Amino acid sequence: MSDIYTAVVDMSTTSPDSATPLDPAAALAFVSDPRFGGIDMFVGKVREHNLGRLVTGISYDLFEPLALRTFQAIGERARSQIGGPMKLYIAHAKGDLRIGDVAVIVAAGTPHRDEAFRACRFAIEAVKHEAPIWKQEHYIDGDSAWSEGCSLCEEPRDAEGTVAKHENAEGHSHTHGH
Amino acid sequence: MKVRITLFGALRDADTRGFIELEAPDACTIGTLRDLLRDHLRENAPHISVNLVQRCAFASDDEILHNHRTLPESGQLAILPPVSGG
Repeated sequence: MSDIYTAVVDMSTTSPDSATPLDPAAALAFVSDPRFGGIDMFVGKVREHNLGRLVTGISYDLFEPLALRTFQAIGERARSQIGGPMKLYIAHAKGDLRIGDVAVIVAAGTPHRDEAFRACRFAIEAVKHEAPIWKQEHYIDGDSAWSEGCSLCEEPRDAEGTVAKHENAEGHSHTHGH
Repeated sequence: MKVRITLFGALRDADTRGFIELEAPDACTIGTLRDLLRDHLRENAPHISVNLVQRCAFASDDEILHNHRTLPESGQLAILPPVSGG
């Protein structure tokens, strides 16, 4: 069984009655292991304000085959940089979400907390900056807009190439709403 | 060769079908295809900014294809605007 789990969860095919389409408990279960004493998890949710505008919901567009390959490649980079045993879970929503819905889950399990924090931070920053995913916000006035994003034209920046330098991961020129 | 470019994000507004088809030379680079697409959009979807097209990446199902790469034999490509996941 693989130590890296990747998924795209299509909100249009998940039942509204199911407990949680993107489930933090499932992520914790996947990265749990008798070898591991440290687990870190990031849960990204839809919030009701962005850049001063009232948001009623968002839609995610994904290029699914490349998104899954990108998640897997991010996991393998995290593993090679951690240099020891690790389990990593990356799942992202696709389609229409309401305020408070879970948009993304990244969880890392490792022997100790330091590697878990670093692997989790590395993976969520890389997902945001490298995965072919686009967010469209819907506003209370009926307007909608695609978020400004990170161009994939350039080769990956050095600042995002190592787990340890996560503090530089947002050190590029444009502003993010996250 | 006929090239089919699948649209995502803000570029979906360029064609409601979700893709654009262009005729390109057989040994065409991604850079040349980008120029062809820019000309096509200027004609058919003038509301799409030229700057956005310059900031988009082209990709196959497997990988990002930078400007020096040649078109995949399948003629199937995706165009990826700047990304905003998470």
